[in-house]
Amino acid sequence: MAKLVVSDLHHRFGRHRVLRGVDLTMSSGQCVVLFGDNGSGKSTLLTLLSTRFSLQKGHYKLDDLDAADQGDTIRSRLVFISHNSHLYGHLTSVENLLFFADLRGLDCSEKRLRAAVETVGLAPFADRPTRWFSAGMKKRLTLARVLVAKPDLLLLDEPYSALDVQGVNWLNTLLADFIQGGGMIIMASHDPQRVAALNHQPHTLRKGRLTAQKELLGC
Amino acid sequence: MLKAVYRIAWKDVVGDLRRRATLSSMLFFSIAVLVVFQAAFEPDRQAATKLLPGLLWATVLFTSLMGLGRVFQAEEENGAFEGLMLASVPRGIIFLGKWLGNLLLTLLVQAMILPLTLILFNVDAWHLIPHIFGVLILGILGLTGLGVLLAAMTQAARSRETLLALLLLPLVAPLLIAGVQATAGVMVPDGQPGPWIRLLLIFDTVYLALAPWGFGWLVEE
Repeated sequence: MAKLVVSDLHHRFGRHRVLRGVDLTMSSGQCVVLFGDNGSGKSTLLTLLSTRFSLQKGHYKLDDLDAADQGDTIRSRLVFISHNSHLYGHLTSVENLLFFADLRGLDCSEKRLRAAVETVGLAPFADRPTRWFSAGMKKRLTLARVLVAKPDLLLLDEPYSALDVQGVNWLNTLLADFIQGGGMIIMASHDPQRVAALNHQPHTLRKGRLTAQKELLGC
Repeated sequence: MLKAVYRIAWKDVVGDLRRRATLSSMLFFSIAVLVVFQAAFEPDRQAATKLLPGLLWATVLFTSLMGLGRVFQAEEENGAFEGLMLASVPRGIIFLGKWLGNLLLTLLVQAMILPLTLILFNVDAWHLIPHIFGVLILGILGLTGLGVLLAAMTQAARSRETLLALLLLPLVAPLLIAGVQATAGVMVPDGQPGPWIRLLLIFDTVYLALAPWGFGWLVEE
């Protein structure tokens, strides 16, 4: 059972203090949704949890792994889906997933990668360069990484953007399965209606501090 | 880890071959330099033998600069650089992958340019091709090692290609001098390339030992 503990996390860009002591504890099978105004620090918090940024002040642990000196190992246990797709336009869908898998040290067969592409509804585009993909198709392929990596922690920054109604329903099913399978999700969103289908704990990030909303939403 | 190095290099080489971007411009630029020098000097065989080491290294330098200016171009698309930084391998491994991709492209160009140079300048040194190419490899190892690090440093700058040249040229000047002297030593019958080759090896060791560490430090935020 995986556990994530964040305590007294601070972050600043120059003189601008974005996070002022964030605390968060969660374990397997939980989904935390971060709400907050633009610029409230949701993306910064997710980027810190991805270990892309070094910790300036505070502590962050995933199980016994400390982000201060075990960032590489923590990164191998999470997938971060940010605003950017991180896709290479000259590579095909399958090649992009192969690139992702090899950089995580995963031993994936082509069959498994193709199955992931098929699951996200891109089977006819498996061997096409992703340069010509629409934003929604890119988002779907980015989410295929979750199926390939099977991480313990999934960080999502506005995952519903660029998805149509069908895509939103499909994503919620994927995320619900992920939570049921024992995964942890931390998601930043502006849209409470779209995440309503997920059993989640809403938190609000305001003035650099994270507060849990009292009621547990779910269906 | 080696798989990650290979995959990053593969992505860069395949990407370049598909886009026909860097490789073709490096090749055409090199050919243009050679043709201009041949037309300007019209050297006889003896003069050409003296001119060739410097000319070869001038094409190496300028084509490398061209390649290095675009080494992180693919990473600008869709925030792919951030994706690389989210990989679970150490930053030094990412550097080695980027370096290997750039090294392979630069060597590929030089492998095509070297025979062309001998033909254009009518120099009878075909039996020396393995030796000359060996010296070029030694020089290019260090040149691209330092170059990829500086390319990472300047990638966010507006006039990054100018900045890259400004930073790279003074730092690789000793390596270039050693490369030219070693090539000249290989090409003349009683040449002494040994000390210059040893110097190239020292530069390679220093640059390639420090660059992955420097890259890791540079990309940390």
